[in-house]
Amino acid sequence: MMSQHPATWGQPTPANSSFNQFNTFPLPQTQRGQSSHAHHGPVGHTQQPLVTGTSVLGLKYDGGVMIAADNLASYGSLARFRDIQRLHPLGQHTLLGVAGDMSDFQWLKKELDALLREEDALALTDSHPSLSPKNIYELLSNLFYARRSKMNPVWNAVLVGGWDKVKKESFLAYVDLLGTTYTAPTLATGFGAHLAQPLLREAYEAKAGIDGNGPLLTKEEAEKVLEDCMKVLFYRDARSLNKYQIATITSEGVDISDSKSADTYWKFAEGLRGYGAQTQ
Amino acid sequence: MFLTRSEYDRGVNTFSPEGRLFQVEYAMEAIKLGSTTVGITTPEGVILAVEKRVPSPLLESSSIEKIMEIDSHIGTAMSGLTADARTMVEHARVTSQMHNFTYDEKIGVESCTQAVCDLALRFGESVEDDDALMSRPFGVALLIAGIDEKGPQLYHTDPSGTFVRYDAKAIGSGSDAAQQSLQDAFHKQMTLMEAHSLALKVLKQVMEEKLDENNVQLAQVTKEKGFEILGENELKAVIETLAAA
Amino acid sequence: MALYHNQPMAHAQEPTAAPIEHRFNPYSDNGGSILAIAGTDFSVIAGDTRQSEGYNIQTRYARKVWQLTDKAVLATNGFAADGNNFVKRVKQRLEWYEHAHHKPMGLKSIARMIQTMLYGKRFFPYYVYNILGGIEEDGSGAVYSFDPVGSYEREACRAAGAAQSLIQPFLDNQIYFKNQQPEPGSQPFIPGNLPLATVLSLVVDSFTSATERHIEVGDGMEIYIVMARDRTTDDLLGEGKLQKGMEIEELGTLGEGQGERTFLVRQALKRD
Repeated sequence: MMSQHPATWGQPTPANSSFNQFNTFPLPQTQRGQSSHAHHGPVGHTQQPLVTGTSVLGLKYDGGVMIAADNLASYGSLARFRDIQRLHPLGQHTLLGVAGDMSDFQWLKKELDALLREEDALALTDSHPSLSPKNIYELLSNLFYARRSKMNPVWNAVLVGGWDKVKKESFLAYVDLLGTTYTAPTLATGFGAHLAQPLLREAYEAKAGIDGNGPLLTKEEAEKVLEDCMKVLFYRDARSLNKYQIATITSEGVDISDSKSADTYWKFAEGLRGYGAQTQ
Repeated sequence: MFLTRSEYDRGVNTFSPEGRLFQVEYAMEAIKLGSTTVGITTPEGVILAVEKRVPSPLLESSSIEKIMEIDSHIGTAMSGLTADARTMVEHARVTSQMHNFTYDEKIGVESCTQAVCDLALRFGESVEDDDALMSRPFGVALLIAGIDEKGPQLYHTDPSGTFVRYDAKAIGSGSDAAQQSLQDAFHKQMTLMEAHSLALKVLKQVMEEKLDENNVQLAQVTKEKGFEILGENELKAVIETLAAA
Repeated sequence: MALYHNQPMAHAQEPTAAPIEHRFNPYSDNGGSILAIAGTDFSVIAGDTRQSEGYNIQTRYARKVWQLTDKAVLATNGFAADGNNFVKRVKQRLEWYEHAHHKPMGLKSIARMIQTMLYGKRFFPYYVYNILGGIEEDGSGAVYSFDPVGSYEREACRAAGAAQSLIQPFLDNQIYFKNQQPEPGSQPFIPGNLPLATVLSLVVDSFTSATERHIEVGDGMEIYIVMARDRTTDDLLGEGKLQKGMEIEELGTLGEGQGERTFLVRQALKRD
C-alpha cells in the first residue's frame, strides 16, 4: 500500500505496520511475501478481530457527557449481529462505548463487572469510595498497555464517559489496543474520527469557543449533533447500521436510550445511475 | 546465662515466649569472642583499627585480613566469624558498583550499610520454592567507615540486621573496656593522626600480646584519598608516636 | 526515527511467497515536537500539546513535558503510550530512590537511570525520544538527550520529534553559532550562555515555525523554566517580559526545596 503520509508520500508502507492510514479501525493490515518470522515461538498470542463494532462517538455537554454507538456487530463485510449493545455502564457514573472486537469486549465486560462487584461489596462495609470514571479509565489504560506489551492486545478502542462526583464535572477519555490514551471534549473512534469528529468539534466550539470557556451545548443540542453524526456515518461507513443508542451520563447517573434510527433520504438515488435498481 | 533456655533456641526463627530470637542473640555472643576492632570519626575522615591475633610465630600475619575495601570511599572492619563477613562485603561491593552504574554517583555510606543489613535476617528453614536461604544468622559484626556528601561516617552493624551510627565504636572481645576508653578520650575536633594514636592506644590496653606492626592493622577513609589500608611504614610511624607519648 | 524507518518491502501486487499473515504492530507515532536549551544557571524545556496519528488530531492537549523533581524536567516524544508509561516508571523510581537514600535524585543520576531503564528494554524498546533538562549539582543549567535505547549525552540544546529536522538546524545556528562568525576583533562565541529572554524567544520561534511547516505540530505549547537557586527572576517575571498571549505560573516545590524554582509558561499555537 502506498503511504499517504506527507513525510513518506508515495513510498510503500512499512511491512510490519498495522497502522491504518484511513483509520477504518480496527481492521488488521494484510501482509504478503514476508518471510516466516511470525512463525517462531510457542506462544500464539497475536490475534485479529473477527466480529467487530464500528465507530463510537462522545461529546461533553452542559451537565454531562453523551456517548453514541450503533447496534451492529459485523463479521468482515457481513452485517452479522444487528442487535448488539456496545454501550456498557460500570457503576453509577461511568459508561464505556466500545469499538473493535466484540469477543474482547465481552471479556472486558466480564472482568470489569467482576471488579466492580468486589468494589461495591467493599463500599457497603466501610467508607471505601466507589471507583470514579478516572479510576476506571486509569485501570483500562494500564490493562490495555500491559496487554499490548505482551503482544496480546485487547482489540478495542474504548470511550470512557462519566461524571466525576467530587469535581462535579463530566469526564470523557479514549483508550485503545496500543495503550494510547487521550482526553478531549469531543471524541470519536474509527471512521467517526474522520467523519464525525470535525462535526462534533465544530458544534462544540461554536458555543464553548476554542478554549472551551464559553457555554456548553445543551442536552437537546448535543443529542441533535450526535444524531446528525450517526446519520452521516450510516451514509458513508459501510460497516454501520441505522440503529443506534445514545447514553447520557450526568450527576443523576447513566441513562442508555432505546435503539433509534435517523431519518434518511434516498430520493436522490432514483435519478442516479449506479444507485438502486436499474431499469436498463 | 539464659534462664529460660529451652526448645526456643532450636528453630533459628522461633521467638521465645519472652519475645527473643535466641539464635540471633547467640550470634551476637560470637562477636564478643572476636578480636577487638575500633573505629573513630574525625572531621578529616574515619579511621579503622583491628587487632590481629597471631597464635603462632609460624603464622604469616599478613594473611589475616580483617579490614576490607567496599568501594573507593567506603571500607569495613570486622569482628567475629570473619568468614561470614565475606558474604556481606561481597554484597556491599556489588551493591556499590550497581549504584554507581545505575546512578552515576557514589553510593551513600548509610545506603551501603543498609544494603548489608538487608542480608542479615535472610536465614531460616528454607521453604521449597525459595532456594537461596542461609541456615543461620551471620556471626560477625562490622564497622563500616566511609565518606559521602554528608561527610565522614561510621556505622556499626550486628547479626540482627540493626545498624547504628557512632562517632567512635569498639567491638569484639575487648569492646567494653575499649568503648569506655574511647568515650573518655574522644572529642569532635580530633585530627586523623590523633584518631590513629587513640585507636592503637585503646587496642594496646585490651590486647594480651605486645602491640606491634604485625598484630594490628590500621585503615582510613579521607575525602582526598578515599579508603586506604596503612602500609607497614605508616603503621610503624603511628606505633612510634604511641611509644613516645 | 532511524529505528523503525520504512523498510523496503515487496509490493502488494507481487506474487505471494508466504501465507498471508496478520501481525500486530505494538507501536504508533503520535507526532509533536520537543526541545530543550540550557543556560548558565537555568534550563528551558518545551513541547507542543498536539497528539496525532496520521492525519488525525487525537487531542489538542496532551502533555509531553513533565516536572520530575525540583531541578529536573523531562520531555518525551514518539509513541505516546510508551512515553506516558515511561514517565510513570521514572517517577516511581525517583520515589523509591528517595525512600532508600533520603535525598532527591540529582540530574546526572536521573540521566544515567533513564539510560539503564531504556536499555533495559533494548529488545522491545520504548519508542520514545527523551530530553531531560534541569539544574546540575554545581548549579549549572543542563540538557541531556537520549535515543530510544538509551544512548545519551549532555548538550547545550536539543530538538526531537516530528519537527526535529526543522528546529535542530535553527538551534545549531542560534545556540551553537554554526555558520556564524564573530565580528573581527570581537569576543568569540560561547555556546550555552545566552540570556533567558533570548532563549525564550528562540523556543517560541522554533515552535511557531514548526507549526507553520509541519502538520503534526501545533495547538499549544508548554515551556518549563528551571532556575538555579539564588538566581534572579526579574528577566522572567518583570512587567512586559513575556510575549503577548503567554501565561506564566510558578510550580511549587516537590521536595524539601533547595532554592531551585520551576515556572511553566503556556502559549497557544495555530490549530490548523
